[in-house]
Amino acid sequence: MKFKDYYEILGVARGATQDDVKKAYRKLARKYHPDVSKDPDAEARFKELGEAYAVLKDPEKRAAYDQMGSQWKTGQDFQPPPDWDAGFEFSGRDFGAGAGADHSDFFEALFGRQARAAQRAQMHAKGPDHHAKVLIDLADAYRGAQRSISLRMPGLDAQGRGTLQERKLDVGIPKGIRAGQHLRLAGQGAPGLGEGAAGDLYLEISFKPDPQFRVDGRDVYLNLPLAPWEAALGASVAVPTPEGPVQLTIPPGSAAGRQLRLKGRGIPGSPPGDLYVALAIVLPPADSEGAQEAYRTMAKAFDFNPRTKMKGDSS
Amino acid sequence: MNPIAMTFIQGPVVEEEVRLTLVELCQACSAEEEHVLAWVFEGALEPVGESPQDWRFTGDSLRRARLALRLTRDLEINPPGVALALDLLDDIAMLRAKLQRIGVR
Repeated sequence: MKFKDYYEILGVARGATQDDVKKAYRKLARKYHPDVSKDPDAEARFKELGEAYAVLKDPEKRAAYDQMGSQWKTGQDFQPPPDWDAGFEFSGRDFGAGAGADHSDFFEALFGRQARAAQRAQMHAKGPDHHAKVLIDLADAYRGAQRSISLRMPGLDAQGRGTLQERKLDVGIPKGIRAGQHLRLAGQGAPGLGEGAAGDLYLEISFKPDPQFRVDGRDVYLNLPLAPWEAALGASVAVPTPEGPVQLTIPPGSAAGRQLRLKGRGIPGSPPGDLYVALAIVLPPADSEGAQEAYRTMAKAFDFNPRTKMKGDSS
Repeated sequence: MNPIAMTFIQGPVVEEEVRLTLVELCQACSAEEEHVLAWVFEGALEPVGESPQDWRFTGDSLRRARLALRLTRDLEINPPGVALALDLLDDIAMLRAKLQRIGVR
């Protein structure tokens, strides 16, 4: 287990006041909140911040943490000394944020026991609803699909330690579903307490990143490379779509960047989305005598200066 | 070998087929009723219906309410601040989508 320096994580001195701790946390939390930040590490950073703040904002936990001494550095191998928390009485409140098995081993080893003691005091009710994110292929949204998904759920093992339990679910993906939408699976959440019914499970849908297609709501975008003569003279080109290739007519005189709309070829629905094909012109390499000769012929055939609209001397 | 019959769990798409009551919305995002009432009061959520008992929230409210809850809990933002943040985040998402549409990634 690695030691975590919660003061370093929040960027405050060990002697910082509770106000300083709060200020530092709020500032960093705004910066790294996963709903606000696009930083790829945002989620991990934010979790770490939350953990540090959960300890340092609570005078009881902070005092217990402080008594481990200041000689420890982040990343050092660490085992809590036996009875390290002897003589500390924890009131076990204030564990709202991040309840579950989401904390680091380090946090769990020090404070996990109290967190669970606090959680036990719950009322009889319908089980809590759960949420999970699932990644599906774009093609599944076009056709509908049946998929086995595996979810990891925080739970407790026989010794009462937090674990992640693997759970498999076979789910029908309805045709026309879009990223960001939720499926509600009745009774698949947490079991009810007492006589309460089980909660529901909400699955938030995202699409797996696709090298070819970009998705925006119902609309799908694709870049289509063309040879210069296809763009200039027009052509009929096979274009991949998530539901299979279609034959697309490229009008003569198409410029690079032009977008062709294939109405109703986006994600199905009422109304269905559209598929936008952005044209890109790719020059063939002049890597043989024949190819170079072709370019020279072209240069002779055209009286063409692509820079006529530029200001200054660009002839 | 016989094909194995598998039952696949089906569920409605919340954003299209579900209208949530106040109680259901609170249950779905583990939010306290008073929080949801405050967000409605600030216009962060816009249910249809006269009184809280009759309110029906669109499926998209689920996403907004969960986001509002995270902002409240993690950043200790008050309801007017949550309403503002939600609007701004919507604007940013729209601008990002526009950038993507014109090819800036």
